[in-house]
Amino acid sequence: MAIVPAFVLLSIVGFVFYYSIPAIKFMGINFFTTFLWNPGIQSKPPEVVNGVLAPFGASFGILLFLLGTVVTSLLALLIAFPLSFLLALTIELYTPLRLKRGLISLVELFAGIPSVVYGLWGIVVLEPVLLNSVEPWMSANLSFIPGFSGEVYTGAGIIASGIILSIMIAPIITSVMVNSFDTAPEGIKRGIISLGATKWELGKYLITNYSRSSTYGGTLLGLGRALGETMAVLMVSGGLVNVYPGSIYSAINTMAAHIASYLDSAFFDSTGMNVAALAYLGLVLMGISLVVNIIGRKIAGRGVLRGYESD
Amino acid sequence: MKVISNDERASVTWKNIKTRRGKDGAARALGYLALLVMFGILASIFGYIMRGGATHITIQMLTTVGNGSTGGLLNAIVGTWLLVGVGLVFSLPPGILGALYFVQRKSMTRMASIMRMFTDVLTSVPSIVIGLFGYLVLVIRFNMGFSLTAGGMALGVMMLPYILRVSELSMKDVSKEQVANAYALGADDIQVATRIYIPQAIAGVLSGILLAISIAAGETAQLLYTASWNNSFTSGFLHSRVAYLTYVVWYGIDQPGQSAHNLAFVAALILILTVTALIVISKYVNYKRR
Repeated sequence: MAIVPAFVLLSIVGFVFYYSIPAIKFMGINFFTTFLWNPGIQSKPPEVVNGVLAPFGASFGILLFLLGTVVTSLLALLIAFPLSFLLALTIELYTPLRLKRGLISLVELFAGIPSVVYGLWGIVVLEPVLLNSVEPWMSANLSFIPGFSGEVYTGAGIIASGIILSIMIAPIITSVMVNSFDTAPEGIKRGIISLGATKWELGKYLITNYSRSSTYGGTLLGLGRALGETMAVLMVSGGLVNVYPGSIYSAINTMAAHIASYLDSAFFDSTGMNVAALAYLGLVLMGISLVVNIIGRKIAGRGVLRGYESD
Repeated sequence: MKVISNDERASVTWKNIKTRRGKDGAARALGYLALLVMFGILASIFGYIMRGGATHITIQMLTTVGNGSTGGLLNAIVGTWLLVGVGLVFSLPPGILGALYFVQRKSMTRMASIMRMFTDVLTSVPSIVIGLFGYLVLVIRFNMGFSLTAGGMALGVMMLPYILRVSELSMKDVSKEQVANAYALGADDIQVATRIYIPQAIAGVLSGILLAISIAAGETAQLLYTASWNNSFTSGFLHSRVAYLTYVVWYGIDQPGQSAHNLAFVAALILILTVTALIVISKYVNYKRR
């Protein structure tokens, strides 16, 4: 029975690969280098391209979705990393011991909130704030930075997705950091303090020495979560297709969100090429996500099971 | 090596003490600010969902069926639990037996560590990819159609690694001497599992199951193309499409009209309360173990 998870994982990889073979034959490397996602015209007879049957005029390129996934995830990291470091430092060093467990539990509660609830909050709270105050201010005052000038549209898009993702991954990074601060030898910590260092210096020492690998690993684990997150991004990204995002205020789309939003219309393709293209996209997404997670796990020396330590 | 006298050392330690303390104070202030921001967001999420949900919740909503934008939520509430139940049916046996295998037999072999890594990695497969797999393989290839079975199995894939790993962690705490004694007295694997490991680790196992349920209840992406959605209850049971709460949140808030939004908020309220309660109970059970 212990081989069931491995069997399931391998069959997911195997089947998704198997179903994406037609699309791999059809698009080849152009899948990564082109930008247009064109489902083709169903009313015209399908044509044979590269030995596989595809709808007339169809072409699938994921450049936009790759870009969207990378940009939103990096923005999320940019916000979540300093936030998590400060949170971990505060929980570990600046709070009384009695409050510590409670704070950790609250941080863990974040990881348990369903992603659609984050999406809902993003739509009703975050988007109006971004639309009415934050983005117009940025557009007016920060327009000298490339990508920061331009019109503000709806509030949904890159910034909203990045912020929502950062809230979702901060608990992961924080919990790995707190844990590694916790497991640093008590002697080192007391020694540093008793030699006259301030707590900030202790934190700096821990993060650059003892906890360095956990910090990198935890950050990668958070990144892995951000790359694969679907529903929250689907709800606040604005679902951009076939248009380049002009500025940071633009709508965006990610690989995961595109699969979720597009699969039901892909059913209607009688050649099955649209579904195959989504399987290809899923394969790429899974590949990236698994690599990031495995490296993160290796570096951190452990995984995170939502608040339960796993070694 | 330069020899440093005590006086020099003291002067180094106390050098710039004001700026160093200033930095420490600034870090502390920033840290408290970060805490404030994080818990402000948490309070905002809970606050908005509570307010939006609590002001619009009615008995009628909880007792009638609906289509995701009008009507009630009864089919979605029941459907969520049905899906979680089917997910448990598929994930509980391999989860607990797998955990037993890991602690009891091959905990240290290379094979076991590879299997363990696969288990951990399974938690990081993006949920939409599991949904895609469920659609391609369960719904189409195995001809299940959009159904409770397909949705439940897709959830089971997500639940399995959590049940397995948390159970394993709690089974690790069982006294090795006691296990060795049991074997020495002639007990077999099954007796050791049912008389020693499971009774002693039951709290941890239960806590893992609750955690897995809390995750499964909040999942959406796996279900969109496996369980699909159902406007009411149908007689097909395992073979019929099924409704679930997260769909209402996603679909309802996107529909025009206040009533659809209200429904989404109420669904989110039920979800968030359920999930929080499950996590708190899970933590409490796990805490009592120690």
